Amino acid sequence: MAAKTLPKEPFNFIVAGVGGQGNVLLSAFVGTALIKEGFMVSVADTFGVSQRGGSVTSHIKISKETPYSSVTLKGKADVILGMEPVETLRTLGEFGNPQVISIVNPRPVHPSGGVAYPDLEEVKQAIVRLCAQTKFVNATEEALKMGNPIYTNIILLGALIGASVLPVDKETVMPILEERFPGELFDINLKAFNKGMELIASA
Amino acid sequence: MSSNGRGSRKLIEDVIGAGLCTGCGACVTGCPYMVAYEGRIVVLDKCTVEDGDCYKHCPRTQTDMNAVSEKVLGVPYGAEEVGHALKIHMARSTDDQIKQKAQDGGTVTTLLALALDEGIIDAVVCTRMDEDKVPHGYLARSRDELLQCAGSSYEASFALEAYRKIPHESTDKLAVVGLGCETEALAKMKTDLPINSVNPDHVQLTVGLFCGWALRSNTFHPFLRGLCDPSQAVKFDIPHTPHYTFDVYTSSETKSLSLDEIRPYINPACQYCWDMTAEFSDISVGSAGSKFPGWNTVIIRTGTGAKLVELAEKKGIMETQPLPEWRLSHLKTVALNRKRTAFKNITEKTGDKNDLLYVGGLSEGVIDKLRED
Amino acid sequence: MASIAMDKPGATALLMGNEAVARGAIEAGIGVAAAYPGSPTSEVLPTIAGAAEEMNIHAEWSSNEKVATEVAAAASFAGIRSLSIMKQNGANVAADFIVNVNMTGIGEAGMVIFISDDPGGMTSNNEEDSRTITKWLDNPLMEASSAQEAKDMVKWAYEVSEAVNLVVFVRGVTRLSYTKGNVILGELPEKREKKAYFPAIWDMYNPVKSKFTSGPFPVFHKPLHEKLEKARAIFETSTFNRYMGPENPELLIITCGACTSYSTEAVEALDVGHRIGILKLGTTWPLPEKLVGKYLTSTKKVFFVEEMDPFVERSVMELAASMLPETSELAFYGKRSGHLTPYNEQSTDLVIEALRDILGLSYQPRDLNYEKEAEEAVKLVPHRPINMCAGCPHRATFWAIKNAIKLDGRNGFTCGDIGCYSMAFAGPGFFQARTMHAMGSGAGVANGFGNLKQFGFDQPVLAVTGDSTFYHAVLPALVNGVYNKSNFTLLILDNSATAMTGFQPHPGTGELATGEPAPVVDMEALCRSVGAEVRVCDPFDLEDTTKTLLEMMRKESGARVIIMRRMCELVRAKRKIPRPYTMHVDPGKCLGDSCGCDRLCTRILGCPGLMWDSEAGKAAIDEALCVGCGLCADICPVGAIIREEVS
Repeated sequence: MAAKTLPKEPFNFIVAGVGGQGNVLLSAFVGTALIKEGFMVSVADTFGVSQRGGSVTSHIKISKETPYSSVTLKGKADVILGMEPVETLRTLGEFGNPQVISIVNPRPVHPSGGVAYPDLEEVKQAIVRLCAQTKFVNATEEALKMGNPIYTNIILLGALIGASVLPVDKETVMPILEERFPGELFDINLKAFNKGMELIASA
Repeated sequence: MSSNGRGSRKLIEDVIGAGLCTGCGACVTGCPYMVAYEGRIVVLDKCTVEDGDCYKHCPRTQTDMNAVSEKVLGVPYGAEEVGHALKIHMARSTDDQIKQKAQDGGTVTTLLALALDEGIIDAVVCTRMDEDKVPHGYLARSRDELLQCAGSSYEASFALEAYRKIPHESTDKLAVVGLGCETEALAKMKTDLPINSVNPDHVQLTVGLFCGWALRSNTFHPFLRGLCDPSQAVKFDIPHTPHYTFDVYTSSETKSLSLDEIRPYINPACQYCWDMTAEFSDISVGSAGSKFPGWNTVIIRTGTGAKLVELAEKKGIMETQPLPEWRLSHLKTVALNRKRTAFKNITEKTGDKNDLLYVGGLSEGVIDKLRED
Repeated sequence: MASIAMDKPGATALLMGNEAVARGAIEAGIGVAAAYPGSPTSEVLPTIAGAAEEMNIHAEWSSNEKVATEVAAAASFAGIRSLSIMKQNGANVAADFIVNVNMTGIGEAGMVIFISDDPGGMTSNNEEDSRTITKWLDNPLMEASSAQEAKDMVKWAYEVSEAVNLVVFVRGVTRLSYTKGNVILGELPEKREKKAYFPAIWDMYNPVKSKFTSGPFPVFHKPLHEKLEKARAIFETSTFNRYMGPENPELLIITCGACTSYSTEAVEALDVGHRIGILKLGTTWPLPEKLVGKYLTSTKKVFFVEEMDPFVERSVMELAASMLPETSELAFYGKRSGHLTPYNEQSTDLVIEALRDILGLSYQPRDLNYEKEAEEAVKLVPHRPINMCAGCPHRATFWAIKNAIKLDGRNGFTCGDIGCYSMAFAGPGFFQARTMHAMGSGAGVANGFGNLKQFGFDQPVLAVTGDSTFYHAVLPALVNGVYNKSNFTLLILDNSATAMTGFQPHPGTGELATGEPAPVVDMEALCRSVGAEVRVCDPFDLEDTTKTLLEMMRKESGARVIIMRRMCELVRAKRKIPRPYTMHVDPGKCLGDSCGCDRLCTRILGCPGLMWDSEAGKAAIDEALCVGCGLCADICPVGAIIREEVS
């Protein structure tokens, strides 16, 4: 039986991004943390060819004790972590509803082959319209300031935890982070995580 | 002189695919999607531009001959058989080194080397044969490099492709050596400036070469290889009548073939060509004929051309003599026949005696004179 | 994240189906695991390999699935439990061996094959339901519905395999293999006491008693069927088959595998749990007929929910026919009725839709106004085509191929194969791959084209293969090409990786599945030794590569080889080899949309590191994605893309 409470049973969390953004690692961290908190989780990532520049979505379904399939039902997302703007919008199109909360990294990743990217402001406004609550977190910008776009997903992890929309807190995540990034690596990733928490507080 | 929304697709349809491509290379000058290779235009990728320079400057798309003539020669297009001429005479180089490499009189090499020396130009867009005697467009910047280009290959070389080598922002002054089709393309470029390639107004001097027809590399060279080792060939020549041969000179021997053997390798597009003497040049140069071996016939068309020839004479690097009347008369007859044959072939192809394909902007009087049977 | 062999029975780990399978096999005490990489199963073997030393397991990447099953069978013959793993296509490759080992029987120790199919072909070149293979080959089949069940099933499968002396198949699908869920770990096995030993048993007077060889064959075929009946009897009482719901449901759902949760969740979403019963089958071949028959007679409607083929649907309908007239009133829904399709992936939403139709229910997932707004907003969203990674050497290779074929001018073409370079059938590889079939089929099909000269065929033929695919399936085709003098050029795209499936080592990389060093099977020497002319090119040297291609295409000889050697970009990044260049676009020189460029770099080359700044009307480098390979600088017609060496 879980100590923390789940706002809804089951609870649907989606991470929407593009291949190469570290979607899968992020969802693995969240899933592992949730298990430590005593929940039953089902985590599915789109794998394979879509990694090479295509859309990558991770669905995490959380339950007190029932094993569910991972993929969110149409229109049933509760929280969306959007690592990329049009991917967030794509996910909202299928799984959004008037109650959904989203945390979004507003940095476009352009489709290749010369496909035009829509107007970013329009996309952001559409996201805001389709969510009960939207918070923009400039994770890629901050990651580039830290010297490498690779830190984007850990910054977003920090933002997610800081937003308190999932029944997971920093305490639970830290040892998981430490195991994955031992030694020196932990310091820089902790910095990224804390940056995320900072950003969400002021978003 | 806009072409109303035509790009590479139309070019392929109207010219390349219609058997009209002469191999001048104008279309590939500023275009990354097409290249000249082994005697053909190869499309590597598909361009979506609606109004392309390739179509505008191709000598076989609609050409307003009057407009082009006004721009390049300063006069409207007339009915002269050999085109607008200020002066016609014979000339040859006095330089032994040049004469050794020359096709006939070495006039072109001499004049261009002079222009380079005097700083009138910085580089020459011309043609050079590689080791296997396949001609390619070339950019020569010195007398030595020019010498490497001396001698005719009798093939269409896509000379204008060498234009590509000149960066967009270059301020180099250029000369261009080319056949009638190539100089017509260049003249079209001057009349309707390319959008992004080098500005053709940088071309200070155009030297045209007489041409009756050209061979195609991709068919001629396999034939040549069957005949001899091309790397051993030092000169090709088609001596004027009464001869009827194509001569291949190697260091050890001369192979003389009947022209009939060569005919299968002639570019079929040449049958629609009306310009034997490269009418849109400053100077046009050809062989003076079998009665004057080692001499060129030179047609001076513009003040620029006249000045350069004068300078060459003054410096003693070139000598001239008048062209006998019978010789000029013969030249005019041949040139006029060329035009008439071309017009006949064109109207047969279009099936309409008023559809002259690329030939446009001529007055009725001029057309009739040139078409008269 | 800790070792898969952690000794913590009762602890809960977050494991994906593939990892759970590995854990199950470890708990069952396997000694040998053999596989060839194939999505969605590629993680199973490396997971086992990670614990190989600890648990004394021989874990190997075999050169193909047939060899992998032969390796696993030998272990079984010698008394060691073994596991082989493959995707659906692997079953096609291994089938010839399985059909034969079914005749001879396995050894004393059980052998399990885990196959994961790919409904929807998300990570495959085809869509195929492998369950029919197991039926065709006469093997028992189980289907796992969750990661926990996958672990438990694999463990149990060994008991079944030993009880009936047959290879047992455990089947999953992509969704099972890659979905992570709570898995309660079991006990680790005891240390193995007996040594491995092959008892060569042959009884001349009683051939049926012989092992590991078979003949006369019909004599061996009969006991095979008897073994299957034994398996059926075991399945009748298996706890992997479960019923949930009312005693006499209005409608009975018969489901299996990943579709189990789609069924339960659909029933929950529609709130019809009091009307619908769900019979979840874990053992689907042979069908536990007594069990299923009992539930068939409790209802009037049966709805089959399974991925792809109507496999269970057909078995149950056969059973229902044999039970006539008792079952004459039954109405069946499934693939036959068109309520679900036998292609593409199933989902809870699709099951909900089908149930709505069958029972006449209504269901509104979300507010209708929101629905409209969402539909409008989604129109903004651009299509995101798949692409090769920024810096991928295949992009350069196919650029050179595209140009060489055009320059050659004889309508040449390339026969494609499986790997990252499969994308060459579409934009990322400039539409160069014009045939695409199984692993090694590129070279195979090229062989055929290369021998059509007598019918007037005059197009130059190229075939592509990756380095891993080369060792896996192309060797016989190359030998054929040399021996039968077939006129084609084989391009081996050697990027030092089995990239598409996740960078598993192969015979050319010098490393085993466990990370230990391994002898390198020298690709060049191998090709030369079979008599092929071999050239080596660096695809990033476009001029040389194009020239070599033209030369090779123009030859008239038997099969010849060009090795396109350049490390995969992701391998370079993993090995922390520094990037060669930094790139930027000079907007002053960039021609962008206009004549003379028409966006050649973003529209045609299409590297993800390049983007189109529509405001400025110029190309630009995406700093977050560009890896500095420098290729685009060679493509730009005006030299607007600047490449600077990194000091």
